[in-house]
Amino acid sequence: MPGSTPAPGGVRAGDRPGPAREARPAGAAPGSGTGGRPSTGRGRARLSAFVSQTVLLAPATVLISVFMLLPIALAAYLSFTDWNGLTPDPRRVGWANYARLLQDADVGHAAVVTLVVTLVGTVACNAAGLALAVLLNRSGRLTGLLRAVVFYPYVIGPIIIGFLWSAILGANGAIAGLLTSAGHSPLPFLSDPTWAVGSIVAVVVWSQFGVNVVLYLAGLQTIPVSLVEAARMDGATRWQVFRSVTWPMLAPSVTVNLVLVLVGLLRVYEIVLALTGGGPAGRTSTFAFLILSESFRTNHLGYGAAQAMTLTVVIGALALAITALRRRAEQAVSA
Amino acid sequence: MKPLRRRSLITGCVALTALALAGCSGSAGGFQESGGSGSATSADLRLLVNITPVLTKEFYRNLVAPFEKAHPGVKVSIEAPTASDVSATLQQQLAAGSPPDLVSGSLSAEIVPQLSPLPEEQWVKDTPYAEQSRVGGTMWQAGSGNQVQSIVFYNKSAFAKAGITDMPKTMNELTEDLVRLKDAGYVPAQTAGEWVTGAQVQMMANPNVLDTAPDWFNRRNKGEVDFARSDWSKVLEVYQSWIERKLTPPDAMGLKYQDAIDQFLAGKSATFIMGSWFVPTADEAKKSFDVGVFAMPTLDGSPAPVSGGPSIPWSILKSSKNQSAALDLLKYLVTDKTAVVAELKAEGNFRKGFDYPASPLNQAVGEIVSASAATVVASSGQGDNSAPTGFNDELNKQVQGLYLGKTPKDVLASIDSWYTSNAR
Repeated sequence: MPGSTPAPGGVRAGDRPGPAREARPAGAAPGSGTGGRPSTGRGRARLSAFVSQTVLLAPATVLISVFMLLPIALAAYLSFTDWNGLTPDPRRVGWANYARLLQDADVGHAAVVTLVVTLVGTVACNAAGLALAVLLNRSGRLTGLLRAVVFYPYVIGPIIIGFLWSAILGANGAIAGLLTSAGHSPLPFLSDPTWAVGSIVAVVVWSQFGVNVVLYLAGLQTIPVSLVEAARMDGATRWQVFRSVTWPMLAPSVTVNLVLVLVGLLRVYEIVLALTGGGPAGRTSTFAFLILSESFRTNHLGYGAAQAMTLTVVIGALALAITALRRRAEQAVSA
Repeated sequence: MKPLRRRSLITGCVALTALALAGCSGSAGGFQESGGSGSATSADLRLLVNITPVLTKEFYRNLVAPFEKAHPGVKVSIEAPTASDVSATLQQQLAAGSPPDLVSGSLSAEIVPQLSPLPEEQWVKDTPYAEQSRVGGTMWQAGSGNQVQSIVFYNKSAFAKAGITDMPKTMNELTEDLVRLKDAGYVPAQTAGEWVTGAQVQMMANPNVLDTAPDWFNRRNKGEVDFARSDWSKVLEVYQSWIERKLTPPDAMGLKYQDAIDQFLAGKSATFIMGSWFVPTADEAKKSFDVGVFAMPTLDGSPAPVSGGPSIPWSILKSSKNQSAALDLLKYLVTDKTAVVAELKAEGNFRKGFDYPASPLNQAVGEIVSASAATVVASSGQGDNSAPTGFNDELNKQVQGLYLGKTPKDVLASIDSWYTSNAR
């Protein structure tokens, strides 16, 4: 078979050329240098590099340990207790909190609301973000201004956004006023549970998608112009260019956007608090809202910690799953 | 990297770490040792207070200013809740190891082990509801006044237009009046979402349920009574009939407390079940009608007790290193004539021996208090005779279910179930 017998010194098919090995004088022991007292010099360099790396990593390691790992470990411990946040000695209750979680109707309902908000919100944020990014990926007088306008909601605090939209969507709000003055009945944006969940999704998307626009814009600007031009020269339509060039090349951006939005929406709390307060009748409570309510309104910190640990595991699993699923698409871009 | 640069980097990191640690240790707790067991001569006191439209930070600063002037070594800082309310904030501060010295707000009995027992002295016993608030025999909070609940504010012009001259004495009469007010073009009974729905139903139920059993919550904690077989069921049926007959706003669940106030004071709604804290707001509002008030009607028309609770109740944290100064301040806040009157006026509350020039509406509330045969605890009770933490939220959630098609029977079954699994 042609090519099956490698030439002396050649590269066999399938072999990957690795980095060139450092030339070593014959007979020299690995690790030994070529100059005078080379071993000591290299050892010092390694020690120096180790110290530098340790010092540079230390602040981040300390911060992550203190503000992330330690609280998670503490929450994991508390999830096996009946602590009410007031007594000094939490009592261990084993897996009781997790068993209760499986039977709690409020947890089931909050999980459904969270699922709806997360799924619909993730799709909407990404669709809107990508569409606007494509529209804004050009130079023009107003482009900079429009990008800033689109990103602006993301800068506003979620509590402020919640109250702002509450003033717009509430039964006494701006839209109700307009509809009433036009002779129509107000719409139950916040008073009907289904409408209220829809309102939460809409407000969450409005507040979040600005960052998706920015991330997709960054992704679009990494696509080589030559690829797009080549496709156009081959007679591809705009849609074909998008489908066959832009979209595949955006794979890493899509992964980042999906994970960021998904994780963010699974933890939606402030907007729910300010917009509906979990009502009516607790029907718009998200999982994060329920955790906070259970922990600090009912003083069931142990049970709240079990809910928080469950959410942490779900978020971690989903983030890993999406990253794994998207790996193939990203590898296609690398290739 | 050159040795000098590397050394500078390491030195910088160490310095930053030291600074951060110093900052942390400096902020821990924020207490200043006042010397020995706590002399009032020098202390930094932190007050965690309840903030409302009338109880602002400025109000509290003015309230404690004379005390600070009289005690030059004492500095008082006012802290607003950083969580949903005072109770949740205090819980977080306790968990973080930085609780305040004094706290003012509605607290559950579960927190009492973290509070300093108040002395068995007459000035404490004389404060409203100090005795009823005892937990395990300990007095742990002292209020400045008596906050009245279960009263109905009404639009006098609306009542006149509807031809209502006598105030209702029974729930049925109240329902009939609400129908007439609806026919006259008003929203008959103003309510809202948030906490308002449950609180109003509680104000309807408490005078009926607690009249014959003032220790009802205590008995419910022991499982001797339940909601389903109490007068709660009759009250909820009345309330459900209001919803079905559209005597409350159909979009009530989309309204906030402030919306309800605005609707009532704009003259769109005819009645508003609320507590005496609404008086200053009603007095200050520009409106085209006079506001009147009557006691919550009862199921059988019998004179009901007024339900109330301590207004602006103060407690001292056991962890405070300034116990003496904190107690001095607490005594000032609940006994000093100027301070107490300021607290009473702010919310339109009452206390025997602490009179102040009151508005006609405030006087009308006072007449209801004077005319009542007895007073019972409001909301979810006081001290040992109180519901578990979270009851008000659960009640509110379940009562709002009436607007979504739940029956009173379902609501009470859910409340009983919750209560049983959470009873102390």
